[in-house]
Amino acid sequence: MDVQYEQDAGEIKRLQRCINDLVCLLALPALWSGGDISQVLDTLLNTLMRMLRLDLVSVRLNLSVVETPIEIVRVAQSFGPMPPAHEICEALNHSLGDNSPKWPPLLRNLMGDGEVSMVPLPLGLQGELGVIIAAAQRAGFPQQTEALLLNVAASQACIGLQEARLRSQQKCIADELDRRVARRTAELTAANAELQLQVGLLQRLPVSAWTLKPDGTPDFVNRVWLEYSGQTLDFVRSRPDAWISAVHPEDRETASRSFWEGVRSGQGFAMETRFLRARDGTYRWHLNQAVVLRDAEGRVLKFVGTTTDIDDQKRAKEKLRRSEAFLAEGQRLGQIGSYCWRPATDEITWSAELYRIYELEIGMPVTLELIRSRVHPDDVTLIEKMKLVDQAREGSHDFEWRYRLLMPDQSIKYMHAVAHSTRDQNGQSEYMASVQDVTARRLAEEARDKAQSELASVARVMSLGALTASIAHEVNQPLSGIITNASTCLRMLGADPPQVEGARETARRTIRDGNRMSEVIARLRALFSKKEPTTESVNLNDAVLEVIALSILELQKNRVVLCPELADDLPLITGDRVQLQQVILNLLRNGSDAMCTVEDRPRQLVIRTERDNGDRVRLTVQDAGIGFDPQAADRLFDAFYTTKCDGMGIGLSVSRSIIERHHGRLWATLNEGPGAAFSFSIPRTPAGLAHADGIRNIQAPAVTGSAAA
Amino acid sequence: MSCGVLPRRSAIDRILVSVVDDDESVRESLPDLLQQFGFAARAFSSAEEFLASGCIDQTRCLLLDVAMPGMTGPDLQQELIRRRKTIPTIFITADVGMTVRQRLIEQGAVECLFKPFSDTVLLDAVNSALRPK
Repeated sequence: MDVQYEQDAGEIKRLQRCINDLVCLLALPALWSGGDISQVLDTLLNTLMRMLRLDLVSVRLNLSVVETPIEIVRVAQSFGPMPPAHEICEALNHSLGDNSPKWPPLLRNLMGDGEVSMVPLPLGLQGELGVIIAAAQRAGFPQQTEALLLNVAASQACIGLQEARLRSQQKCIADELDRRVARRTAELTAANAELQLQVGLLQRLPVSAWTLKPDGTPDFVNRVWLEYSGQTLDFVRSRPDAWISAVHPEDRETASRSFWEGVRSGQGFAMETRFLRARDGTYRWHLNQAVVLRDAEGRVLKFVGTTTDIDDQKRAKEKLRRSEAFLAEGQRLGQIGSYCWRPATDEITWSAELYRIYELEIGMPVTLELIRSRVHPDDVTLIEKMKLVDQAREGSHDFEWRYRLLMPDQSIKYMHAVAHSTRDQNGQSEYMASVQDVTARRLAEEARDKAQSELASVARVMSLGALTASIAHEVNQPLSGIITNASTCLRMLGADPPQVEGARETARRTIRDGNRMSEVIARLRALFSKKEPTTESVNLNDAVLEVIALSILELQKNRVVLCPELADDLPLITGDRVQLQQVILNLLRNGSDAMCTVEDRPRQLVIRTERDNGDRVRLTVQDAGIGFDPQAADRLFDAFYTTKCDGMGIGLSVSRSIIERHHGRLWATLNEGPGAAFSFSIPRTPAGLAHADGIRNIQAPAVTGSAAA
Repeated sequence: MSCGVLPRRSAIDRILVSVVDDDESVRESLPDLLQQFGFAARAFSSAEEFLASGCIDQTRCLLLDVAMPGMTGPDLQQELIRRRKTIPTIFITADVGMTVRQRLIEQGAVECLFKPFSDTVLLDAVNSALRPK
């Protein structure tokens, strides 16, 4: 009974332990829950080893479960020395073979010191996942309960492995998904940043940018335009040409036409218009350009365009054009040309006026050779001797030189050039030069110099002081006009804006006064040249006017009021004009001198021309002076008779000689009132042929300041 | 000829400089230059014309030719002094004579310029004539 009881108690205890183990195995999924395959295997092997007091347990997983086959062997320490794990596995595999359905439930094998019982437990129905081998040396292994526990453990492991494998696969997929999401997110972030940058760029470009729908309605307009025009995006989008309200009223019609032509033709457009700037209410010039975007079928998708502020360039261009025009005008007025010469390349640029001065076709290429062909040969020699060109090439100096041009018609032009050395943008030497045609001035100067030197010899004839004063007066008067007009001209050109019309008028006057001056000089030359006496047709009135012009200053100085009474119908006479003028001059000065002490009445001096009897002309100079002693009337015309302290008494004597050589008569009469009158009368045409010789016989006429009164 | 009404409003504020010279080219050119300087300018062909013009009181500076037919420049100056109308006077003459210049300045002229004279010399003379004594 007791034995039976003890057997029962032992049995019960064994079963209890078995149930405990079973519970323990069933709790395994909770232990490896969430773990991966290696954790499942680790937990399983440790549990079996401890629970069944095994000497060896191994697991092999096939490729279907994991990426690389896994083989794990656990051996109890009590089992003694063992070969390496992979050899054990190989031996186990060899014992089992590959065909799992043929595996025996138990096989015995020699291993280590003795025989071991090995229980192969297929994983999966056909062992397709792998196999667990549990081995122990002790006899009776496995007991019935142990076989049960092993089978339960194998099925638990199988489920655990499947779950772990599934989890692992899910994890792989989740990881891949995460990776892909992360990559895509990064891509999107980058793309977004790029897009942000592009939008920012588009909004902030230094030009107004916009797009139009195919019908011309704006759909995008960047901020630059909205800020410039003060228009809102909604307003601009409200209708195709809402933007035109910002266009200058004068430009609207053409802007609208260009716009619609460009939109309707699908060609796009380019136009310049003035747009109102909202900030300050000013209109500024803009360039509007649109290009078309088409789809694969060629339909218009959009117009893409920009609006660029070109006001400054436009103004600068206009300013440049105006200043060029003014410069050209100024050069033309002043007969000043300019050129630029680059010694390194011999590139020469001429202004239009310089072409005119050189009488070359405007725009033809200019070479040193061409210039040389125009320069006077003597000056070419001089320029070559002085090595002017070589000097200019070598150094950077300012140059000034005067030279002549020999024109194809053999005329000569006098030039004055000033060249300034400078450097161009590339640091190359460059000469900027101004060239003035000074021919007119030079000729006037030459004429004046010549007249002056000729007059030097006449100085002996007239009192030097009176003569030079007369000439200075005659020359300085028009010269004063020239200089004043030229100064005014320069100031008008220099004014802002240049008064071109006024400048032109003053330049015209300058030329006119210059011509007057050359007439004066020509007259002086004729009057004082040391020509041999000649016979020519003389208009006595003209001769009188020239003498008046020359002596008016002295007369005014003496407060003489000159009253010319010149006959309109005076015939021409034949004679020596200069000699006759010397007589007239002498008579005028005598008359003036005769009144120098008169204070109680006007110092009136009448000079009269008239027809005289017998085809003659008569000239009378009547003063209101002190008169003369009637007793001395006959001696008045004798040489060296004079009543003046500083006189020489030659004037009237020589005058009478001259008149007599012209077959005329010179006489004096007393006025009814104060003063006297001196007259000469000469025939229109001298009788006979001898008169010409007679006139030539008068040598060195000496008209001095003497008087007979 | 009267200065009562000046042709342009803008000219009202300008200082009037009168030119008396028998030479037409001077009467033609000097007023233009004076206007470039910013003055109002009137020209008269003789001393008599100036005296009859009614411009004496408005004239702040007189550019006066020395030698003229009839009344000469110095004659006009003396006449103005007699009338107690002292206008700063600059003589202009085509004769070069330092003694004449000296005499004219001693007699009260601001300056005596010899024709031809430059624009800057003229401007200096007019400015010194207008400078309050």
